[in-house]
Amino acid sequence: MIEAIRRHLKLYIAFLGHNLKNEMMYRANFIILSAMDIFFMGVNVVFFTIIFNNVQTVAGWSYYQMLILIGSVGIVREMAYLTFRQGFLNIGDYIRTGEFDLLLVKPLSPQLHLGFRHISMTESLGEGIMGIILAAIGYYHLPPGSVMAVPLYIIFLFVSLIIYYSFCLIVNSAVFWIIKSQELNTIVYYFMETARYPRDIYRGIGKALFTFVIPISLIATTPASILAGRVSYSLLFLSLSVAGGLLLIGSLIWQVSIRHYSSASS
Amino acid sequence: MKKYLTLFRINWQNSLQYRASTVIYIVGYGLYISVILYLWMSVYQAGNKMGDYTLTDLLTYYLLQLIVNILILSYISWELIDQIREGFFSNFLIKPLNLLVYWFTVNLSGKLLETIYLSMIGAVLYFFMRDYFWLPHHFSTFIYFGGSLFLAMTLAFLMDFCIALIAFWLIQVRVFKFMLLYLVFFFSGAILPLDLFPQWLQKGVHLLPFQYLAYVPIRIFLEKQENLSSVFTIELFWLLFFFALASWMVSRGVKRYEAVGG
Repeated sequence: MIEAIRRHLKLYIAFLGHNLKNEMMYRANFIILSAMDIFFMGVNVVFFTIIFNNVQTVAGWSYYQMLILIGSVGIVREMAYLTFRQGFLNIGDYIRTGEFDLLLVKPLSPQLHLGFRHISMTESLGEGIMGIILAAIGYYHLPPGSVMAVPLYIIFLFVSLIIYYSFCLIVNSAVFWIIKSQELNTIVYYFMETARYPRDIYRGIGKALFTFVIPISLIATTPASILAGRVSYSLLFLSLSVAGGLLLIGSLIWQVSIRHYSSASS
Repeated sequence: MKKYLTLFRINWQNSLQYRASTVIYIVGYGLYISVILYLWMSVYQAGNKMGDYTLTDLLTYYLLQLIVNILILSYISWELIDQIREGFFSNFLIKPLNLLVYWFTVNLSGKLLETIYLSMIGAVLYFFMRDYFWLPHHFSTFIYFGGSLFLAMTLAFLMDFCIALIAFWLIQVRVFKFMLLYLVFFFSGAILPLDLFPQWLQKGVHLLPFQYLAYVPIRIFLEKQENLSSVFTIELFWLLFFFALASWMVSRGVKRYEAVGG
């Protein structure tokens, strides 16, 4: 077990170093990407600032609590780019060209290979840094919470990452049928775009739908609740079970779908 | 005229072929809009109000975004940029077609098809949301709304076309394209009605042409827009401005064109 973890860690670092060298070749590109990230995060802050000019709270969330929520989306996004996100954007090419064959015969599970091969540190770096700053500003302005808040927050960012990964895996399993992964990932994009609204706005069927089927109401809300001092044990439990359940279902769907892969040009 | 009609038909058939991407876009944007609807309902249930908008006004505003946004999303520039950069543009030079009219026709046929899809989805949404949906009191509003949508589509096309033409001078045009997308997203009123912006920002925003893409048409539908004649006059001025700019860029750009790889 420990041996396996060490091996994967070593692979991860090797892939990270390799990709970083590639990314550093295009410095202008990197600066432009970061500037756009910051602009887009800024738009979201302006959006909520304008709302809070008219109202005191949104579904029980104050302005500074909301900043933590917006920031958490940015952090989870950067975490995803540091692991699996970019790989799924490329999966369509792998399948169309038949290069996916190579992944299947490598001594590493194709799921992990896809996840690690295209790590990108810079793709969403602006968003990640902005996210940490926003979360810190929000946390600073709120009454001091318990000592456990920050470590628990970090743990549940990883839980959210698992939910995000599982959703991504399920959506991208369709790639074995329709080949085009760019379009599938438009859905994944909107999935994260809508994660920054607090879970408390949903009612009725919407609440169930956005918890179990399209779990956008958990991704940012659960970790942000911890840091904002409004968390409940039931929410933590819900997040953990959805993460576990989706990961299981996602892996099953992936396993079944991968059998549908029928190579190309060979 | 006939050659452009043929072009229209060919591109119509092409768009039919690639309807999956349109459907996925609508699903994704529909998800976004429904979350926003939940947000506003929650804000209004707590007894709050945004500017002079009632809940019905706001929900209608965002539902109409579904249609307006896809109409003003001109994507011909992706193709035109590639053509200029990779030298395929040479093929075009020997054809008896006007560059601007050619791409306008391509854009128009794609948008018309998407409008048909969207009307079907709009009908379904209206059925479920009819208690929350504002319908204009005057029939003339529909005509003004339709007219403003057509002008918005034309204006968006002209801006997009000008951005694409930068490819004659620079290699990295995609950056400008993304910037335009973001400017449109923010300053057209797509994320929030412009009159909810802070005063100092509103003054600047009302001087820009982006408001005619989403904010103005939807305000016309909601019968909140006053001085229609002066609004349309200023919009026409912007259309003329971008038309002149595009024509000037085409005449200068073609002279600079190097036919890479040809």
